[in-house]
Amino acid sequence: MIYHLEEVSKSYATRNGAVPSICGINFGVEEGEHLALLGPSGAGKTTLFRLLNATLRATAGSLTFAGETVEHMSGRELRAMRKRIGTIYQQHHLVPSLTTLENTLCGKLAKWSLLHTIRSTVQPTRQEVDEAMTALEMVGLADKYRARADELSGGQQQRLAIARVLMQDPDVILADEPMASLDPVLAESIASLLLSLAQDRKRTLIVTLHDVEMALRYFPRIIALREGRIAFDTTPDQVSRDVLEALYAANGTHPELAASEANRLPSINNTGATCEPSCAR
Amino acid sequence: MQHVSQAARVSSEYYSAHHRDWTFRRVVVAVSLCALFILCWRAAEIRPAALFDPAALASIWKFIRNLFPPDVSPQFLRVVAVAAGQTIAIAVASTAISVALGLLLGVVATPVLWERGIVLAGEPPGFGRLLQSNFSRLARAFLGFLRAVPDLVWALLFVVAVGLGPLAGTLALAVSYTGVLGRVYAHLFEDVDPRALEALHASGATRAQVFLRAIWPQSAPSVTAYTLYSFECCVRAASVLGFIGAGGIGYEINVSMRLFEYGQVLTLIVTLVAIVAVTDNLSRILRRSLRANVATGSIEALLGQKAEHFLYRIKPGKQVIVFAVLIAIGWSFYATGFLNGAFGDSGIGVRVGRFVAKMLPPNLELDFLRSLLLPLVQTIAISVIGTLIGIAIAAILAIPATSTLSLSESDAAGRSSGISRAIHRAVYTITRIVLNSLRSVPEIVWVLVCILAVGFGPFAGTLAIGLHTGGVLGKLYAETLEEVPVRPIEAMRAIGGRPLQLLMWAIWPQARPTIVSYTILRWEMNLRVSTILGLVGGGGLGQIIYNSVQLGFYSNLATTIALVYILVVTTDWISHRLRGQASSSTLTSIEAY
Repeated sequence: MIYHLEEVSKSYATRNGAVPSICGINFGVEEGEHLALLGPSGAGKTTLFRLLNATLRATAGSLTFAGETVEHMSGRELRAMRKRIGTIYQQHHLVPSLTTLENTLCGKLAKWSLLHTIRSTVQPTRQEVDEAMTALEMVGLADKYRARADELSGGQQQRLAIARVLMQDPDVILADEPMASLDPVLAESIASLLLSLAQDRKRTLIVTLHDVEMALRYFPRIIALREGRIAFDTTPDQVSRDVLEALYAANGTHPELAASEANRLPSINNTGATCEPSCAR
Repeated sequence: MQHVSQAARVSSEYYSAHHRDWTFRRVVVAVSLCALFILCWRAAEIRPAALFDPAALASIWKFIRNLFPPDVSPQFLRVVAVAAGQTIAIAVASTAISVALGLLLGVVATPVLWERGIVLAGEPPGFGRLLQSNFSRLARAFLGFLRAVPDLVWALLFVVAVGLGPLAGTLALAVSYTGVLGRVYAHLFEDVDPRALEALHASGATRAQVFLRAIWPQSAPSVTAYTLYSFECCVRAASVLGFIGAGGIGYEINVSMRLFEYGQVLTLIVTLVAIVAVTDNLSRILRRSLRANVATGSIEALLGQKAEHFLYRIKPGKQVIVFAVLIAIGWSFYATGFLNGAFGDSGIGVRVGRFVAKMLPPNLELDFLRSLLLPLVQTIAISVIGTLIGIAIAAILAIPATSTLSLSESDAAGRSSGISRAIHRAVYTITRIVLNSLRSVPEIVWVLVCILAVGFGPFAGTLAIGLHTGGVLGKLYAETLEEVPVRPIEAMRAIGGRPLQLLMWAIWPQARPTIVSYTILRWEMNLRVSTILGLVGGGGLGQIIYNSVQLGFYSNLATTIALVYILVVTTDWISHRLRGQASSSTLTSIEAY
């Protein structure tokens, strides 16, 4: 088991006190598993991703990665863990003033020694450039290698972010809305690229999606988040239209519907109604 | 497999392009930069060994030891209070004069009113129009001249013309800041939205009406903000003018320094830093509350908001504010001896006129011009090496002073250790304190300290510029690094990048343009400073100016000042070219000062 989450909660400190984002989540992910995260905006998907790639500390609960508890890791261990996880962010998180090629090279950053970092700032090695170009080729950006990242269109930036993860070649790929800024044809090709890659290299793939149809079509496991809790965790054939409607229903408009529809499903962990204001156990 | 071959082709293309970059041209640039560096190094008489000379170390140690305890005896504190009052009076009075003259000349120098644009498009061409546009051009050139000659040189001239004391300082700053403010006002008037001008002009408004109804309302907030900022600079300048006898706190520092009363020096420097800090913060708060788009999140912004609430709560009424300002200005004119000077036996005008007459014609003999060559090169060398020293200090101190790099977030994953967090916090705080003290002590004071260590000459001047610049740039660098967009940094942290890797690959590429432009701007300012360091023994053209004044060679003085003017204008132009057109927003680029 690569990920194991037990009662994980995260709340943000704000001026008006702690605002919960994730409330006592339990699930596990096997190595090589592909799963899609669904849920309305503000359900805590992005926060969950930050917990999974260990850039954020959980307020409560325990998160283990490959059998090791993240909370007890030293800085070095954390970096070793992050090296194995590649994240594709919703806002791409590229360095705007670097070229496409340089942004792709960044994927290898964690594998470089300090000396090599300085070296490759001046002049990257031939092998790295070849590798980066291959990654860019896979997402169809090889001819743009000279362009600055901020000169690219939204879709191109999205593909560049994917190329950076290809370059990193991690064990786990976390992708936050990787198809959001792509046209339907491109989205399809990028989705199949990510999936075939994960399949061939036996990588774990966790993707958040707005496009429910795509999630149901491609992913053998679906986890739905609503208001910081798991609404359901199941296979696509168990996900009915009613369940989805309840998942995406506006907060408070159909609470009884959300509860009753959710109850019909066998593998429900949580009713997915409203979240308690505080996550204290 | 066609895919891979395209990637391979593109990557060889990249490689050959990179190799082509290492061409003859690069080598030539590198070699000439090296040569320039060596030339500057020699001209500024850099002797690193002198810093580690036991005698130098001993005298520095003696200086530091004698700074404590500071002199806080009641008699001396009275002296300090009078000097501080004088400094503030000089700043207030000179700002008042320069605002009045600056507005007047600024209006005359605004091209859109006299030279080109919609207001003039319909006027028939003719002698009158030609006269107007040339008059406006002349006003701009005149303002440029007032601004380009360093304020300390103006002060020296006025000391000769009207005698020692605060009156000379006031006149010097008034002249210098008239140049600064006039130029900025003209820029601000020029930058307003021309549609309003067109509408008023089309409805038959006169030029005065166009100015009052279309230009002034649009530019008033920026004009106020910039005026406040210039007052801030004026206070800073007023505190050092005294080094050449123009009154205020600088004069007292100079006296105490010469009497080896280092305890008094410490008291005076602390007072000076306090005055500057208080005016800086007051003016920043006022400016922030004037500006609509306050950057949220920073402490300054928060302070600004608080001050705004505070000011709103008091609501003293406009008349009370105007009355208080008028009283302050009146008192300042009285305290600087302006009233006696202007209405005394021989008026300021007469004395200044007599002095100017002595300066003409400037000495243009070949021998004298040739003798100016070395100090000229020396001045440039001091500014270049001084700036490089400053860059080195700033680069070393900026990284621990960047909170995003040196302090870990409380939200970070993994084990957290209280001890390591405390160490990081301590390192951060100490570097910030070091940077602030380097920055708040003026270059002129640093020169006096460096003279103790390495003796008179350009090396002392270079070190002084280096120390002050290190403080200024270090703070600017740290702030720039902090304000870089965080998303790319987060991404690289998420894949396991180390802090240095984050710095090199995520932070530096984003911060580079700002940092480069700040640095060039600072070099431009340092060149101005290096022309005057000689007045207190720091080498360069200032030495010639000082000697000419002492010996009464006023025609030599005129030539040297003309040379300083040409040098400053050339540097302005180079710096502007190097920075590109990035500095179009006057107020933001001015914050770098």
